[in-house]
Amino acid sequence: MAQLALEKVNKSFGNVHVIHDVDLQINDGEFVVFVGPSGCGKSTLLRLIAGLEKLSSGSISIADRPVMDLPPSKRGIAMVFQSYALYPHMTVFNNMAFSLDLQGVSKAEIHQRVEAAAKILQMEHLLDRRPAALSGGQRQRVAIGRAIVRNPDVFLFDEPLSNLDAALRHDTRVEIAKLHTQLGATTIYVTHDQVEAMTLADKIVVLKDGEVMQVGSPMELFNYPANEFVAGFLGSPKMNFFEGVLKAGAGGNSGEFEGQGLHASGVRLVGTNQPNGCTARLGIRPQHLILDANGPLKGTATLVERLGTETVIELVNEAGTAFRCATPETLDVVVGDQVTFSFNPQSAHVFC
Amino acid sequence: MTRTLNHVILALIVFIWVLPFVALVTTSLRSEVASKTSGFWTAFTPTELGHRFSTHDRGEIEPFTTLKGNIFERLNQERDSFEIEGDIKSILFKGRVPDPDKEGKTKLIRQLIYAGEVMDVRGGDFVFEPSGDFTWTFPEATAPKPKNLDTFINQNPIFGTDAYVEVLFENKNVTNALISSFIVTIPATIIPITIAAFAAYAFAWMSFPGRDWLFVLVVSLMVVPTQLAFLPILQGFSGIASWATSLNAWMTDCEATKTCQVASKSFASLWVTHTAFGLPLAIYLLRNYIVGLPKELLESARIDGASHLQIFTRLIIPLSVPALASFSIFQFLWVWNDLIVALYIGSAEAADLVFPIRLQKQLGTFKDQLHLLNASAVISIIIPVIVFLSMQRYFIRGLLAGSVK
Repeated sequence: MAQLALEKVNKSFGNVHVIHDVDLQINDGEFVVFVGPSGCGKSTLLRLIAGLEKLSSGSISIADRPVMDLPPSKRGIAMVFQSYALYPHMTVFNNMAFSLDLQGVSKAEIHQRVEAAAKILQMEHLLDRRPAALSGGQRQRVAIGRAIVRNPDVFLFDEPLSNLDAALRHDTRVEIAKLHTQLGATTIYVTHDQVEAMTLADKIVVLKDGEVMQVGSPMELFNYPANEFVAGFLGSPKMNFFEGVLKAGAGGNSGEFEGQGLHASGVRLVGTNQPNGCTARLGIRPQHLILDANGPLKGTATLVERLGTETVIELVNEAGTAFRCATPETLDVVVGDQVTFSFNPQSAHVFC
Repeated sequence: MTRTLNHVILALIVFIWVLPFVALVTTSLRSEVASKTSGFWTAFTPTELGHRFSTHDRGEIEPFTTLKGNIFERLNQERDSFEIEGDIKSILFKGRVPDPDKEGKTKLIRQLIYAGEVMDVRGGDFVFEPSGDFTWTFPEATAPKPKNLDTFINQNPIFGTDAYVEVLFENKNVTNALISSFIVTIPATIIPITIAAFAAYAFAWMSFPGRDWLFVLVVSLMVVPTQLAFLPILQGFSGIASWATSLNAWMTDCEATKTCQVASKSFASLWVTHTAFGLPLAIYLLRNYIVGLPKELLESARIDGASHLQIFTRLIIPLSVPALASFSIFQFLWVWNDLIVALYIGSAEAADLVFPIRLQKQLGTFKDQLHLLNASAVISIIIPVIVFLSMQRYFIRGLLAGSVK
């Protein structure tokens, strides 16, 4: 049975409808990441689960218990805020003990639980400090510790890493992943960073304009995007799209594409409710372009980025469509060069 | 260049503001005579003043040929404080000396005799030193009557706390006023700030219908002048007082002792009035501060299971200390210095008068006793200064540091 279930969840702020009919099942122990561009409603959805916003319609249940009418503290959740939201006038210990103290837990147990949480996060030496005397990463850990102490059914993280610098973000990301393995608790994590989503998640929920675009494991989403948005959103550099028409295969799982001098058949077809001959877009990831002197795709290089591990070339084809190629080889290409590519239709997608 | 100018202007402003206070304090520390006869700015440098002393006490005295004494000792004999110190400049000699023009006749002269010069006093030679030591020598043992002499002394600055002792302990007026002022001011500061803190939290973080309109109404009450409301307030209080009187008569057996009357003007009526007039500004200031606290902090507390009351007492109050401190200073000063409300609404009993009224009354009684007036004024000033300095440590910058990034 699902640990957390959302059914037909809707939310409006006045006339603005921000969450549309979201259905979601999250299993016990799963690490779920809500990802999407800013304004897609992912934080609002998290706040609805937390109980910080009231549902307009629909239902939410946590651990088989409807929670719509429960206050946040009774829902069995703990939340880590983007801004940490530490109580500045309390020591780290008191920050972590606050919720237990409010519940009337005995002093001895508070000590034991806070110290256990501090040990997990390796911050026993920080317990007597005030938040002002901590570094950004330490504050982040206190915020996580405050959540652990409550021993919740579901952990909620609202963009917890966006205030950290790049190096620390990576370390903390690894730490959160380890922590999840260690605690095994159900976790919902909101981010706009697809790298965090890909690396952390058991299950990714891609949101756009308050609607769920696709739910699935990271590689499932990467290899079989359910629509053009998901295809374009996940993966770096972004997937290349070429305009054309769908020649054959409507209604099936694979189709034939033609356009901009490209022709491919047996391509994975997404969006099957269009007839043959409709306008379609061919999507190929930059990593899947193959250097081939006789290939159908010709482009003029406009920018070459050498990242060490891979080389990213930005090109423009004859039809004026910009596209990218990423390859681990160190290519001897300079701006203005003509490069030709071929591709494997197996790794391409057609969207219509 | 502009910095220098700024500093000069700043120094000038400080000077202008500090000068009256220095004048007040200085005058209150001087003797009555000194404060009456010269300006406070002369109090810091030696001043030449005239004094009259007698050579020795009236009464029987053993005949002597040489009398040694000290002018300062003679002068300070009757003084408990403001004892005179300095240099004796001269003594004004008034007496008859042989007239050089008319043989055998004498004439009255007035002449300044300086230290070391010999002066004829009652037939003896009188010599004095600047230190005040004098010798009075007669050719043969005599027992002269005491002689009063006028002397000019270059007097060192002298200060004393006599005026304070006098206003505080001579009679109970100032002490009573001080106590009354505290009785009025402390509750009239604490009550509105408590109510305002609760109201400010509600206006800032609780949603209830009509919240914004109610807040606008509260803020607009700030412009209602106190004077406008005196009549209805007085009517209200006298209504309450007569109701309380009948309640008293009904509940107790006061009719027998004729003590049923409940005063309509009292400390309590001052508390209520000051609270009422202090609240709009207090709510406005505190609400604007509290609404600026990070929203995540309150949400985090809600997730941690804190009720509104717990959020208020355990988060809002500790984090609002600077705002609470600054408003309590405002309210304390305003109530402490208030004359008009106390005059209309406060008790008229002599023992219950607050400080500003007492000062106003002293203007009549101590009209020409500047040192006493000033001592009272300094006492009334010193309390708010103490309050301000002790509250200052609550103006903590960076109270929210480390909370949200």
